[in-house]
Amino acid sequence: MMFAAAIIAVLIALTLAVARALAGPTAFDRLLAANNIGTSAIMLLALFGFMTGRPEFLDIGITYVLLNMIGTLAVLKFFRYGALGHAQDLDRDPG
Amino acid sequence: MAQVIDLLSWAALLGGGFFYVVGAIGLNRMPDIFTRMHAVSVSETLGVGLMTLGMLLQAGFTLVAVKLIIIVLVMWATGAVATHALARAALHDGEKPLLADATGALVPTDPVSLFPELGVRLATPLQSEVVEEPVENGVPEDAETLAGEGYGAEEEGANPDAEEPDSAGKEGR
Repeated sequence: MMFAAAIIAVLIALTLAVARALAGPTAFDRLLAANNIGTSAIMLLALFGFMTGRPEFLDIGITYVLLNMIGTLAVLKFFRYGALGHAQDLDRDPG
Repeated sequence: MAQVIDLLSWAALLGGGFFYVVGAIGLNRMPDIFTRMHAVSVSETLGVGLMTLGMLLQAGFTLVAVKLIIIVLVMWATGAVATHALARAALHDGEKPLLADATGALVPTDPVSLFPELGVRLATPLQSEVVEEPVENGVPEDAETLAGEGYGAEEEGANPDAEEPDSAGKEGR
């Protein structure tokens, strides 16, 4: 029951984040909203697992945390440099 | 005892849900990208942290609790990094933060006018941009660089220009 309440809260936040992702004037707004949607998905996974008594969903949640971070940084790098990196750059500047 | 834990769990989950929704409302209501980031950081630290605390109380001392702690720690660390990168990319892209002027109205303000040292940083090319320059110059110079680095020392004496792009790249760092 308490998990259901938290799930409803997360779903409301998810809807608002989708609205911002659709409306966002700049790409950065959409990216911020997308990051928040990813976080909401992780919390939904965890809460749903607890609600149904199957916390094994948390393993998927860990994967989503890492994917969320990497996806955000990859899109940011694309917008900053116009490319995700060249082989020569990787030789010289792995950062 | 179980009822006390349930009560604390209820409080943490409801508080977490409250802050999560507050952050999402801020994401829609705030006027520009930087304040929206501020709003989202509320939901990604306090909201996630409190909801995870509520689940931790229900999980007890189990492997599930360890996984929850891993999730929340990674989320706190990477959320800050992603927010920092997002703000930096937005600044470099020319986004102007909305600041109040003398009359109190919100106007897009160039942050360089307030912090001159920020202008120096924004004008200085980043590491990656300095490194990318030989790539933009085209194929022949790249070939010379490769020859100077790898394919034999006898060419360096014959063609002193071959070292030019390489040394420029090192100074850029």
